[in-house]
Amino acid sequence: MMTLIIGGSGSGKSAYAEDYIFSLSEKRKKYYIATMKIYDEEGEKKIQRHRMLRSGKGFSTIEQPVDIGKALEKMKAGERTALLECISNLTANEMFSEEVQGTEEVITEKIVSGIASLNKKLDHLVIVSNNVFEDGKVYDNTTMAYIRAMGQINQKLAELADEVVEVVVGIPLVIKTKQI
Amino acid sequence: MKLIIGGYAQGKLNYVLQKNDIKISKIWDGEIPKDKDEQKDIVVINHLHHWIKSRIAKGGCPEEEIFAFVENYPDCVIISDEVGNGIIPIEAFEREYRERTGRMLVELAKKAEEVERVICGIGQKIK
Repeated sequence: MMTLIIGGSGSGKSAYAEDYIFSLSEKRKKYYIATMKIYDEEGEKKIQRHRMLRSGKGFSTIEQPVDIGKALEKMKAGERTALLECISNLTANEMFSEEVQGTEEVITEKIVSGIASLNKKLDHLVIVSNNVFEDGKVYDNTTMAYIRAMGQINQKLAELADEVVEVVVGIPLVIKTKQI
Repeated sequence: MKLIIGGYAQGKLNYVLQKNDIKISKIWDGEIPKDKDEQKDIVVINHLHHWIKSRIAKGGCPEEEIFAFVENYPDCVIISDEVGNGIIPIEAFEREYRERTGRMLVELAKKAEEVERVICGIGQKIK
């Protein structure tokens, strides 16, 4: 099962995603796949806030800022679920890190196939992604390539996903429903 | 309290006025009434995000102020743009504004009896 959760900054998407995976995991092992790299104090604070939200919920954290498919190697066998947060950081890391770089098409394919292979080995994968599409601004070429890659990745993940939920002011709106 | 959200220029205020289901006494634009003792009629706060931005710029605590306001005006209508659906701004102040506005709207949505999202002038009731 795959669930894609999308929302803007401060929309409450993370809190919703964490409650959601918590409610469906039962006794399964729960992984939190973190993609954010810390560059400064602001990033540190953001991570602290997310750790606080997750504390006491029994997640094991895997740091996976690039090469998302490799997160599987860090998991134990057995029944397990994972929350991947988030596609916007993963895509930025893949596109802008010094070690790895590629065109938007190559990166889109790498991320989508990595997630698809991960999903096959999990009972449930919940993915958090970001709505970066509606500020109506025209940015430099690199940023526009990033936005296009995000758009492509979201569309492909939505196609793979069994359900897609948009979170608006903390309220979940189901935009693709599970076929039962 | 009713919360109306949506993108820029989607006809949110017009939607509220055309619905004509409540008797509005005053429309505040980018401001909230400070006076607690003002008549308890229904007030509309338009462009709440502008007010939030100016309060943050002045080092205020819009979170406390808006929740106190809602207590005093339980029948108000609050209209705000959704500002979080874009690329993370380069300027720290813009990032803080976006994030705090988003979180305040989440809290207001929890307290609201009704939340509507307006697009192309059409409202969708989401709570």
